[in-house]
Amino acid sequence: MGFWAFFIIFASSAFFLHWYATNKALRFNAGIKEGSKLPSLPQYYGLYTLLWFIIPILSTFLIWTIFKPFLVDYLVIQKIPANLLNSFGGNPSLILSTVKAISLQNIFPGTKQELIDLAKYMNELKYSTSSSFYIAILFLGLIGSSFTLKKISSRFRARQSVESVNIKLLIFCSTIAILTTIGIVFSLIFEAIRFFEQIPFFDFLFGLSWSPQTAIREDQVASSGAFGAIPIFSGTLLITVIAMSVSIPVGLLSAIYLSEYATNNLRAFLKPILEILAGVPTVVYGFFAAITVGPFLKGLADSFGFSIASESAIAAGGVMGIMIIPFISSLSDDVINSVPNSLRDGSLAMGATKSETIKKVILPAALPGIVGAILLAVSRAIGETMIVVMAAGIAANLTANPFDSVTTVTVQIVTLLVGDQEFDSPKTLAAFALGITLFFVTLVLNLYALKIVKKYREKYD
Amino acid sequence: MQKNKIEAKKVSVFYNDKKALNEITLSIPEKKVTSLIGPSGCGKSTFLRCINRMNDTIEGCSMTGRILIDNKDINEKSLDPVLLRARVGMVFQKPNPFPKSIFENVAYGPKIHGLTQSSDELNELVEESLKKAGLFSEIKDRIHEPGTSLSGGQQQRLCIARAISISPEIILMDEPCSALDPIATAKIEELIDELAHNFTIVIVTHSMQQAARVSKQTAFFHMGNLIEVGKTDSIFSNPSEKKTQDYITGKIG
Repeated sequence: MGFWAFFIIFASSAFFLHWYATNKALRFNAGIKEGSKLPSLPQYYGLYTLLWFIIPILSTFLIWTIFKPFLVDYLVIQKIPANLLNSFGGNPSLILSTVKAISLQNIFPGTKQELIDLAKYMNELKYSTSSSFYIAILFLGLIGSSFTLKKISSRFRARQSVESVNIKLLIFCSTIAILTTIGIVFSLIFEAIRFFEQIPFFDFLFGLSWSPQTAIREDQVASSGAFGAIPIFSGTLLITVIAMSVSIPVGLLSAIYLSEYATNNLRAFLKPILEILAGVPTVVYGFFAAITVGPFLKGLADSFGFSIASESAIAAGGVMGIMIIPFISSLSDDVINSVPNSLRDGSLAMGATKSETIKKVILPAALPGIVGAILLAVSRAIGETMIVVMAAGIAANLTANPFDSVTTVTVQIVTLLVGDQEFDSPKTLAAFALGITLFFVTLVLNLYALKIVKKYREKYD
Repeated sequence: MQKNKIEAKKVSVFYNDKKALNEITLSIPEKKVTSLIGPSGCGKSTFLRCINRMNDTIEGCSMTGRILIDNKDINEKSLDPVLLRARVGMVFQKPNPFPKSIFENVAYGPKIHGLTQSSDELNELVEESLKKAGLFSEIKDRIHEPGTSLSGGQQQRLCIARAISISPEIILMDEPCSALDPIATAKIEELIDELAHNFTIVIVTHSMQQAARVSKQTAFFHMGNLIEVGKTDSIFSNPSEKKTQDYITGKIG
């Protein structure tokens, strides 16, 4: 029995069970002339039976898929002939990895026939799920549903049971995202711990020099390796500050225009256009920064008699600021719009002008929400990579001069991990240390933003 | 012979193409309470909002006819609606204190109009306005707490204090008690009586008992038309129009 045969049987018996259970419930109700009928509607009995058919099958299937590789490995190891084991120095895991390589078609000439046989056996185990397994899980499902079919009586409340299963399903789905986040954090933490085994924590956090070139050979020169993260974080800070000083005023003022001055028609037209800016791929912004803005700034500086690099923090930061404008304008526009009209009327009726109303009533009322929007935009700016790679360079300068080239955390992570890497050198592991630091910073920012938004909700509703 | 503060002459209001008010002509006496009654959607609030040109803020709303305050047309081009609204205060249906402290709520108007020179003067003005609104004794210890922390009735009296802080000549009230319980309503009505000594008050109300209690003159609106206007006593005891009679006795509404 192949997978598709199994699937067809599974689906049709699911349909049948649903129909049968619903029908059984209907007949039960019809059979009762007096006294209590079923406490739930008949279709809930159908659903409940269906659920108890599907759940055992799916969960067994899931567990099977997770543990099958281990089982296959175990079975293959059991099959290893004694003479082969001896030729590999009594190490079955070595044979196992060779067999795995062979099973993926990497057969070198002169491979021992025993190994090829083992690989064939392994492939057989891997790709054929035996019909007995399919029959077994179908049987399991039938056991589950037959129990529920027996339960159909006036004492069994099917709707509540179906709903509690539904709730558990929802809980399961929501934990997937949380578990993934936790998984990401742990994968970062373990690699970062390996990094901090080689480079002291405080040297990383407070070091002033960053040059992650470690020596490959003992006698290599100029590759001592310095892992001080300060220049990188200061570069990130510089670019973020530049980006925010472009996007906050422009975004906020356009939000005020959109929500307070533009007519409804104009707003319906302008807002989507502004939001298109958010849909432009960041690589395209990178082109724009590197090819248009950077050289333009350089030419401008030249005509004033300065000399600046064409790769500069200000080019990258400025373009990033433009990219972030829609975040701030769109979110702030929503926040400003949610300030109740009664406050506007109240202020206007006091003889305040429109701009006084905006400055003294609307903005203060919307401020927490606007701050939340700005903080979300900041974490977006900190995480942005592409524009900086293309327009600000990768030199880790410790500088506050916006016309210098700087680098950011994300850019360094990219440069550290691109190309061939050994995953035990501090150079590569540094990426994870930077990653977890960045994760921590943006996490704190986001938590803070959420807290402010929450405070806002409590206060003005 | 009493002086008329507000004269409306053939006032019609349109929301886009829909006519909401039909040629209203109405005189409102100075330093008296005039109440506008009528079923929902009859145009009484729309008329009220014409008097301080709050309808200007609504997109697609236009008005024809003339409204005179002290014999001056308020829709004249040379007249700034911002200055008009400083003379014509308004209290809304739902209490709408700003999300600021009680003090800042009342100080808002004097500050934007530059009515006081020093902070002492401002403090005095705020205190005086709160006293006039009958709120000061209740909240004098927490004048710097947020205005939104007050109860509904207190919030509405705070809004009245805010309105009178800039000494308007006219106060418009748009169903000021509809969100309040009977006790808070009684306090506001008492306050309206008090305020009528100094201000011309126009109040829109759903409650005919309230109109009878607080006002000297009553105007009955129905479907955008002014059906009848007269002394409150005679409107309620002896209406001359059938529709007014029907509304008062609860046959329409």
